[in-house]
Amino acid sequence: MAIENLHEFLTDYFLANQCELLENDNGKVTIQLTDEMDELIMNRPFYWHYIKQIGQKGQPMKITFITNPDRQNEQGEWVHFGSPRLHQIFRTLTRQGKITRQYEQIVSIQRQPLIPWLVLNIKVSYQGKHKKDELLSYGLQLINGTLVSPMMEKLSLLNLQPAIPDYCYTISPLIHNKSAYQRLIRYVQDYLRTKDYTWAKESWDHLYAEGKLLEHFYKEEQAEEEKQNQLQQALNEIESRFRPRISIDIINGGLFYLTQGSSNVVSSGS
Amino acid sequence: MNIQLNNDNAFIEELESAIQQDGPFSSWKLFQMSYHAAQTTLTPEFTGLTAPKHLPHMEFLPHQLDCARQIIEEMNGRGLLADEVGLGKTIEAGLILKEYMIRGLVKKALILVPASLVNQWVLELSQKFYIPAVSQGKRPVWDQNSIIVSSIDTAKRQPHRDIILEQEYDFILIDEAHKLKNHKTKNYEFVRALKKKYCLLLTATPVQNKLSDIFNLVSILKPGHLGNYEDFTATYGKDRNNLFNDDHLKQLIQKVMVRNRRQDTKVDWTDRKVKTIWITFSEAEQKAYNQLTSITREADTFSSITLTRELCSSREACYLSMKKMLQQEKAISNREAYQEFLKVIEELPHHAKAAKVVELIGDTEEKYIIFTEYRASQLYLQWYLQQHGITSVPYRGGFKRGKKDWMKQLFQNHAQVLIATEAGGEGINLQFCNNMINYDLPWNPMRLEQRIGRIHRFGQQQDVHIYNFAIRNTMEEHVLNLLYEKIHLFERVVGNLDDILAELDIKDVEQEIQTIFRESETEGEAKIKLDNLSSVISLRQDQLQEQEDWNGNRESS
Repeated sequence: MAIENLHEFLTDYFLANQCELLENDNGKVTIQLTDEMDELIMNRPFYWHYIKQIGQKGQPMKITFITNPDRQNEQGEWVHFGSPRLHQIFRTLTRQGKITRQYEQIVSIQRQPLIPWLVLNIKVSYQGKHKKDELLSYGLQLINGTLVSPMMEKLSLLNLQPAIPDYCYTISPLIHNKSAYQRLIRYVQDYLRTKDYTWAKESWDHLYAEGKLLEHFYKEEQAEEEKQNQLQQALNEIESRFRPRISIDIINGGLFYLTQGSSNVVSSGS
Repeated sequence: MNIQLNNDNAFIEELESAIQQDGPFSSWKLFQMSYHAAQTTLTPEFTGLTAPKHLPHMEFLPHQLDCARQIIEEMNGRGLLADEVGLGKTIEAGLILKEYMIRGLVKKALILVPASLVNQWVLELSQKFYIPAVSQGKRPVWDQNSIIVSSIDTAKRQPHRDIILEQEYDFILIDEAHKLKNHKTKNYEFVRALKKKYCLLLTATPVQNKLSDIFNLVSILKPGHLGNYEDFTATYGKDRNNLFNDDHLKQLIQKVMVRNRRQDTKVDWTDRKVKTIWITFSEAEQKAYNQLTSITREADTFSSITLTRELCSSREACYLSMKKMLQQEKAISNREAYQEFLKVIEELPHHAKAAKVVELIGDTEEKYIIFTEYRASQLYLQWYLQQHGITSVPYRGGFKRGKKDWMKQLFQNHAQVLIATEAGGEGINLQFCNNMINYDLPWNPMRLEQRIGRIHRFGQQQDVHIYNFAIRNTMEEHVLNLLYEKIHLFERVVGNLDDILAELDIKDVEQEIQTIFRESETEGEAKIKLDNLSSVISLRQDQLQEQEDWNGNRESS
């Protein structure tokens, strides 16, 4: 589910941030920014500071993005997967899209219970001599503890809304958020135990071998304190470079209230 | 197995407090987009380069991608980047830094380069690689996470030195690293003491004189890789040729060094079209030249050779030096003859070479770089070109950084000609120009190569035209015919010429030629000596050609 259509991603982003698209054609889009978005991405804090000081209404900018490489020489900013603008947007998203609470959209004329789920999207980084990442998406049903993965793919099939629909009520969770969180992290750790660790072994071996070289290099001068410090620093440096480690970072997460029916669908086949 | 595990515990606290305060919650759309963004920025494999996908405006050459991959995957981010001049060491280094930044392994980096190159590095990193590098500036901030470009001279001075040595850098880069070959220097000790994770040393000449040069460089990257100093000298001796001859040493070095040479890059280099432009002095000029030769031969002073050379460049250059000499030196036996000659110079017409310049570039719109050895000639030329409606800007090694950048820009956007007195070996890149006039030839072939390297480098789209000016029946004719032509200077990329000169213990070719001219009684004698000098050099060139099957890392990849 990585971004496939960059243009759509961009326009979605600005629409989701209440900006208006003034023109949008063949890989080129002109956007009227809102005050908030101008402040967020246009990097002109002095202007906004000044405007607020004098109590005036600011003039948010219009901005044109080009995603069609054939048009990159036209007026506007060429945006591609490496462009600083896109990565700036990604950075704003790590905050803007961090925590959510959503309810499944249903039209109902009778009272309907909604079942709570804790959803976590997790990045696992494996780092030894080299580094790689893996993205995991888990959902934990907070009544019976059912665990679902990958959760985001399943959620993407549902219609969700930020407020609870009419005639619906939420069931109180039996599992607290914190212990649900612990459970999920434990689950990640269990998952990690099943992995292949050749990379970590290689890193340890390499660390050990380079350590040996260092000790030999400083062998003659072991008595000198100065040299001893140098050796220690060099050992620290190879340790920080090669020592295998795994980091678990939460990309985003939140509470999702789903109908019994959807909860069943989500749980099945996982 | 012992693997350190880091958990993220902040998130659940954040979630709890959002729930308690009933928000703020992000919309489902932005939540999904954030997830997609994370997926997009993920690096799912340990190996392979992801950086090129982020840089669609760049066209990397195969040897550059190969080099970056090798340094990251095989050398684990510590390596000696020793490509020949002009193959794009900066590009390779930028690619490596970018890859580490994308993978989140480098946040704080220090890039140490010659002062004259600081701005250029900042510019290239930000324009070509979108790396937000900053130059150290007047009040540097060393202790933040950023990519800082600085000169080593600034960095090693207090109060910066102590602050920098406290920092823990993810990435250190040293450009022109051959300056670190001596482990007893302050620069060496400073770089060794830096706390660093990844480290790149860039140089085109990893071994300049002694085999221990390479030992010292490698000991910054990977102390112990070549043993300690005692082991190293005991095993491999001191002869730099062992680097080529000893298979074991070769293999060891290949584990920490990438060296591409022009011939193994499979790149179509644009042609270098070298043309000698023979110029004949006007009758008056030739007469003056002959007169000066006999005056200088009568009473041989240190500056006598210089004066003759200068007359081949411009009246002004010769006149100024001669005046200065007459003022400063007391004991000149034939002072009158010189005094007399000053008057002769005043009478001379415009210089034959200057007229040739106008003839050559007068009709075209194309840009030209003119190199001259003398400032007086530079000023004269600027004035003379202006008289003929040709715009030009001056360029000198002594210009401050900002002024250099400015002159380069003026040249790129407005002026037709750049007149430079100094290649500034580690100087500006002028690939947008493809014509060069060597108005007078330097007597040091390395400087000539550096001059040409300014425009004939990676990024040059056109064939490069080099015009060498030489005046018939003067010492210029001898130097060009007997020395430069004979060592094939113009056809081949010099590359190992500096090695050869070092090996032959010719420290300064210029000095050597001066001595030849000064100590020769007749022109014939000077010719024979020049011929001998070039024979020695070209003989060694041929030997090396046969011997040097060693071509850096290529065998291993």
